Amino acid sequence: MGATGGLVRWGAAVGAGWWRSAVLVALTCPFALVAVPVGWAGASLAYGWSAGSAAAWPLRALAVFGETLLVLLWVSVAVWTVHPFTSRALAGAARRCAARWLGLELAVAYRQPRQVTRMATGFWWDGQEYHRSEREARRRARVHARFHDPQLHGDGVWLLAAAVTVLPVAALPLLALVLGALLVPGRPPLGAALLAAGLLAAPFGWRVLGPVGRRLLGPVASTRLGWRVAELEEIRADLTQTQAAELERIERGLHDGAQARLVALGMSMGAAEHLVDSDPAAAKRLLAEARANSAGALAELRALVRGINPPVLVERGLVDAVRALALDAVVEVDVVTRVPARPERPVEAALYFSVAELLTNAVKHARAERVGIELSYAERTLTATVSDDGSGGAAAAPGSGLDGVRRRMAAFGGRLEIDSPLGGPTRVTVAVPCELS
Amino acid sequence: MRIVVAEDLFLLRDGMVRLAEAYGHQVVAAVDNGPAALEALLTHRPDVAIVDVRLPPTFSDEGLQAALTARRAVPGLPVLILSQHVEQLYARELLADGLGGIGYQLKDRVLDAGQFMDAVQRVADGGTALDPTVVAKLLGRPARADPLAALTERERSVLALMAEGLSNAAVAARLFLSEGSVSKYTTTIFAKLGLADAEDTNRRVRAVLAYLAVERGPDPDGR
Repeated sequence: MGATGGLVRWGAAVGAGWWRSAVLVALTCPFALVAVPVGWAGASLAYGWSAGSAAAWPLRALAVFGETLLVLLWVSVAVWTVHPFTSRALAGAARRCAARWLGLELAVAYRQPRQVTRMATGFWWDGQEYHRSEREARRRARVHARFHDPQLHGDGVWLLAAAVTVLPVAALPLLALVLGALLVPGRPPLGAALLAAGLLAAPFGWRVLGPVGRRLLGPVASTRLGWRVAELEEIRADLTQTQAAELERIERGLHDGAQARLVALGMSMGAAEHLVDSDPAAAKRLLAEARANSAGALAELRALVRGINPPVLVERGLVDAVRALALDAVVEVDVVTRVPARPERPVEAALYFSVAELLTNAVKHARAERVGIELSYAERTLTATVSDDGSGGAAAAPGSGLDGVRRRMAAFGGRLEIDSPLGGPTRVTVAVPCELS
Repeated sequence: MRIVVAEDLFLLRDGMVRLAEAYGHQVVAAVDNGPAALEALLTHRPDVAIVDVRLPPTFSDEGLQAALTARRAVPGLPVLILSQHVEQLYARELLADGLGGIGYQLKDRVLDAGQFMDAVQRVADGGTALDPTVVAKLLGRPARADPLAALTERERSVLALMAEGLSNAAVAARLFLSEGSVSKYTTTIFAKLGLADAEDTNRRVRAVLAYLAVERGPDPDGR
């Protein structure tokens, strides 16, 4: 039973292998299909010119060299002509195969046509040239984006490389099979051996797509750079916005809180000064009020400072600050730490506020009864994991607290991972690359 | 009493020195940084020290560390810690040796001279004077497998005020009870916490410590 099952599975693997090899051959052969006939025809034509010449051998060698160069030129021109029209489609198909067969996600971006604009002169500007009509400008912009695209040339490089790597390897099982089938009637042993080799190699040949595709099917360097720039711009915008919001919060806190209380303080003391001779009892009352106001101002300043830079974080660093946070929580929080030293201050603060947010989420939204916080440092990465037994279903929806954590981490090149099935338990991890002091 | 003051803000330090002298105490040293504070604590061995948590040169928790180090060298050396903020974490560290003679208060409390000097006196006498803020935080803590779970709401509030360092009379005034019923409550509390036969001051301190369920210092691999 098990043997039959294994045989069936193996048969399926062989069948799928042949199919995949055939697909890969089809997807990688066009350059070879162009290059080989052109090279063949070119060679038979060009080498014919010097054939039968009776010149001295150095001259003949020179002629053959020149003819070889010429043939190479023809081959290159032929491939270069085919490339713009085939590379994108073929590379796209190869990417889909890689995604389906190997789970290899290779996202790439092609250049988009530029917007055309009408100039004051009545001409249309496509980013490169002026045109009389909008239609013409649009067409040229489309053509330009299509054929002057670094990703297109990247795809061409893939096809060139695949023609000498993926193509032969993927073709081998098929060739062995066909040759074997042809040879069996004439030379049975060799034919059978080739057939067997084809069968054995079939499940493996197509896998060459993995290593080659990983290197050559991904986005080209300039697109990657573009993405990184876009990402950094987003982070910068975020940071600027966060900073402005934070300053506004502090300003409001000072303005509505401490500042107002100090004004009240000054007023009651002024009034008390007036009354101290005529109505000492009232003056006393006013002074008591003033003292209450000063205490209130201090309390407000304290709360404000805690939100800007928590005192324990300043005095003791991340580990003790998180332990203090755990002590102040209304539920049971276990803290486990394996962090040998303090990280850089900004990273420390970002991580602290992230953990604080995650703890609040666990208590408030997930209504957890037990929360575990784990801090660790390994491979130059500081990791904080907050797990709880709450209701789960946490997600970083835009504008949510978790989204804030994600942004905070992104600013330091860190990441946020959420594992929170509905019904719990939840496990959220934040990790930042950093050095310890 | 002989008092050591360690505070880096000149105005506050000067104010506390004057206050102490106005109450008839002797300030044997007034210092403005951590190392000097530790030295003053160890050489003068004052009846009570008033120490700011955050001191130069590092402006981290130098004052607290100086106090903890001094108390390791001189067990039970009375110290009143002042800070702009109060943390359960620090309160636990201060109380961890279980010896009493510990105060931990917000700097704001200095504003009320009478209450502040009361707190200083209580600490000097080997009691505790915890800031109501930190006591409130401890009260908000989840009480699970906790000896305190056995206490009633009323008993918990009496214990909270004891943690602040109030005497039975003061607790009675605060809770609008008669002194007799407060002393009944304290007896029940001591019984429930298994402190029935210790001497009274000591018992009060230990009840407070039980209340705080003090951990034995920070975990060694914690930092």
